[in-house]
Amino acid sequence: MEEYPNGNEGSFNSEEADGVVKECIEAVVGGDDYSVNQVNKWTASIVERCLTQLVKQGKPYKYIVTCAVMQKTGAGLHTANSCYWDTAVDGSCTVRWENRTMYCVVSVFAVAIP
Amino acid sequence: RVSATTKNKRVGSLILKKNDRKSYSRVTFPSEAVAMDEYQTEEETAFVVEEVSKIIKESVEAAIGGNAYQHSRVNQWSTSVVEQCLSQLSKLGKPFKYIVTCIIMQKNGAGLQTASTCFWDNSSDGSCAVRWENKSMYCIVNVFGLAL
Repeated sequence: MEEYPNGNEGSFNSEEADGVVKECIEAVVGGDDYSVNQVNKWTASIVERCLTQLVKQGKPYKYIVTCAVMQKTGAGLHTANSCYWDTAVDGSCTVRWENRTMYCVVSVFAVAIP
Repeated sequence: RVSATTKNKRVGSLILKKNDRKSYSRVTFPSEAVAMDEYQTEEETAFVVEEVSKIIKESVEAAIGGNAYQHSRVNQWSTSVVEQCLSQLSKLGKPFKYIVTCIIMQKNGAGLQTASTCFWDNSSDGSCAVRWENKSMYCIVNVFGLAL
């Protein structure tokens, strides 16, 4: 009965976070093309929006949200992350989004408050 | 002891963030001996940006130092940068959980913008970002430290 993959109160629900992040990205850059003047504003909005939605869930976590927006010109981009934490209660979720002119990679890290 | 009340503080843009966490001074000291203990304890349990920055720079140099961007090797490089950083950080023995992220991008004129924001305890948690480059690629590493 206790073996459900994400029915556990104690661990981070990454599917839920995934959904929240996708909505935030769509809301901020949904129909736009890459623009040097706006990209600064976009990345700040995406992270703030994600953070606000996550905090609203009221769970006992500290959050770190990072976002990278890159123009599509054929360059290669590689991201990696590594975490030293309590794997039973902490978790992360990474969402990769793109449109015709840009890529957007958002990562959420949730660390339980002891 | 870290209290459970977290303050909502946005870190803002990674590249521009300046983190001055060196001020942990106390006004009154009951006695000389106790003062020394308190100072050392704070050193051992604070997130020291310079120290972390040094660790990151060394790890990046060691992993990709003299190399040119190569699609076939970049996976291995970013993994080794984060693993190297993390192992050096855990060797510091401080009571922190760490998150290390690394972005490697080929230089070909594309624009890249990154941002991060954190919901944590401002008095004990910290972050450090290092931007490194050579002729053919950029490497951006972030370390976030969350006090236990």
